[in-house]
Amino acid sequence: MRIDQPKTASLAPLKRVIFVLIAASVLGSALYLALRTGDDLYLTVSVFATRFLGIFIEAVPFLLLGSLTSGLIETFVKTDDILRFLPKNRLGAALGGTLLGLVFPVCECGVVPVTRRLFRKGLPLSMGVAFLLAAPFMNPIVFASTYIAFGFGGVLVGRALLTVLVAVIVAMVIGSFADPREALKPTSAKACEECDHHHAHGRPGLGAKLLSAMQIGADDFFEMGRFLILGSALAALLQTFVPQDSLLALGSGPIMSVVFMQILAFLLSVCSTVDSFLALAFVNTFSTGAIISFLSFGPMVDIKSTLMFTGVFRRKIVLYLVLLPFVLNLLAGVLINVALGY
Amino acid sequence: MSAEHHHHSRIDLAAWSKSLILFGLGIYLAVLIFSGNLTNYINLRFAWLAYVGAGIFFLLALVNLYACLNPRRAHSHHHISWDNLLVVAFPLLLALLIPSRSLGVEAVSGGIGLSTVGVESASALTRSPLDRNILDWLRVFNRASSPAALNGESVDVSGFVYREPSMEEDEFMVARFTMSCCVADAYPIGMPVRSSLAGDFATGAWVRVGGEVRAERFQGEFAPMIQAETVAAIEEPAQPYLYP
Repeated sequence: MRIDQPKTASLAPLKRVIFVLIAASVLGSALYLALRTGDDLYLTVSVFATRFLGIFIEAVPFLLLGSLTSGLIETFVKTDDILRFLPKNRLGAALGGTLLGLVFPVCECGVVPVTRRLFRKGLPLSMGVAFLLAAPFMNPIVFASTYIAFGFGGVLVGRALLTVLVAVIVAMVIGSFADPREALKPTSAKACEECDHHHAHGRPGLGAKLLSAMQIGADDFFEMGRFLILGSALAALLQTFVPQDSLLALGSGPIMSVVFMQILAFLLSVCSTVDSFLALAFVNTFSTGAIISFLSFGPMVDIKSTLMFTGVFRRKIVLYLVLLPFVLNLLAGVLINVALGY
Repeated sequence: MSAEHHHHSRIDLAAWSKSLILFGLGIYLAVLIFSGNLTNYINLRFAWLAYVGAGIFFLLALVNLYACLNPRRAHSHHHISWDNLLVVAFPLLLALLIPSRSLGVEAVSGGIGLSTVGVESASALTRSPLDRNILDWLRVFNRASSPAALNGESVDVSGFVYREPSMEEDEFMVARFTMSCCVADAYPIGMPVRSSLAGDFATGAWVRVGGEVRAERFQGEFAPMIQAETVAAIEEPAQPYLYP
């Protein structure tokens, strides 16, 4: 039997050489461009840099908060504590998972390191998946921003109901066919007995524990940060080269408007804490179903969170985590449009 | 176990680089805050995010530095690969190599919007014509009972010059990006301008346009066309975007 050691995934030697070559050529061309201000290519790179850094600057504080939370969970929460409060059946676990966001208020960047840490502490798969999908909305900060943007009404209630519904369904589906060992990457699966043992017999003081929490937080930031950065770069590239208007023209009608808004949510990768303000910009152009689906789907899945998922789950599960919410939110959005007679 | 031996035996370059990158990212956010360049990237309503980010980066950097200096008391639990470090350093490299800029005319792809974005704001409607910015004008225009309702009102707006091949020689658009959260949702809007001075201003240059508004058909729909009396070159404003 293979022993899965918790170590950072690293690239194979050949891949590493290719990676260094690509990195060197990117750096070289960036340097070249920096010296040639003014021409078209330079301006394009500069637009890309602004878009990339904008997404990064807005998202990175949330990833840092999530990583710190993850470090604090690792040092202060005992595995036994988690196991004691677990609901016994899968539906209970999934429903409980959607409410965990109220305990750990994180957005879609912060939720990934926290979920990974909770999995390592032995959280069941269905509960973790429900938490992962619902928490970016089910927390006080996002309630507040949605309320400020839309007031108390159909959009806020619809967003909440749809988020819980989709999170529970996806969690039940994934929980029904996969067990944690085959769904999770070795680095995210429950840690071995020996690790708990290790923590149990030394009794470090509060200072040492905090120090350790922050070191774990920093490690988490680096591990998850690379996915955030690659995702932000991808989103910035798409925004720089695919004009929004070309998509706008496609997005009319009760079905296509929902499809369009969900694709937009995926591409823009805007943080869930602020996406309500963004959705406001589309209220006059798009159907209510499309707005609600945008607000429900966006916090669950976007480019950067998809990349971050790949750091936690095996590839097949990542596919389910992206496609199931897309289809379910699409269905719900279209139903809302039909019900409202759009 | 063997990994830990490896850590203790010599200076851990990766751990030092980690501290360096964390410090670097903290300094980068601090520089953005103090230089005012933060406005190039995010809506200032969310500026507090950058303060939080810088604070945590410095905190983590200090803790890591302490761990590097006292490897016996606080060693890192696992090794971080070089390619991982390089990816996390990428934003720093980009920020160092490419001077900070706001989105300008070269970021416009697929035309400039003439319709308003976001909720209708009551303050835009009560603002006097000379105090309205481009966003306010479009909001008021779209709410007006008829396109001609605003004809003859005085206008004084600033933005960057945008042109399309279909425009006449004495026409251009004065445009701004609107931004709700960060540049990810930046969207260009603008008002058409007619001026005999149009040829003096390069596409992308920042200008302040004064004159009268008159509704005219522009690219197939009614738009508040500015009949310019003055067009003056200006510096890019400290807050280049409009916040809906």
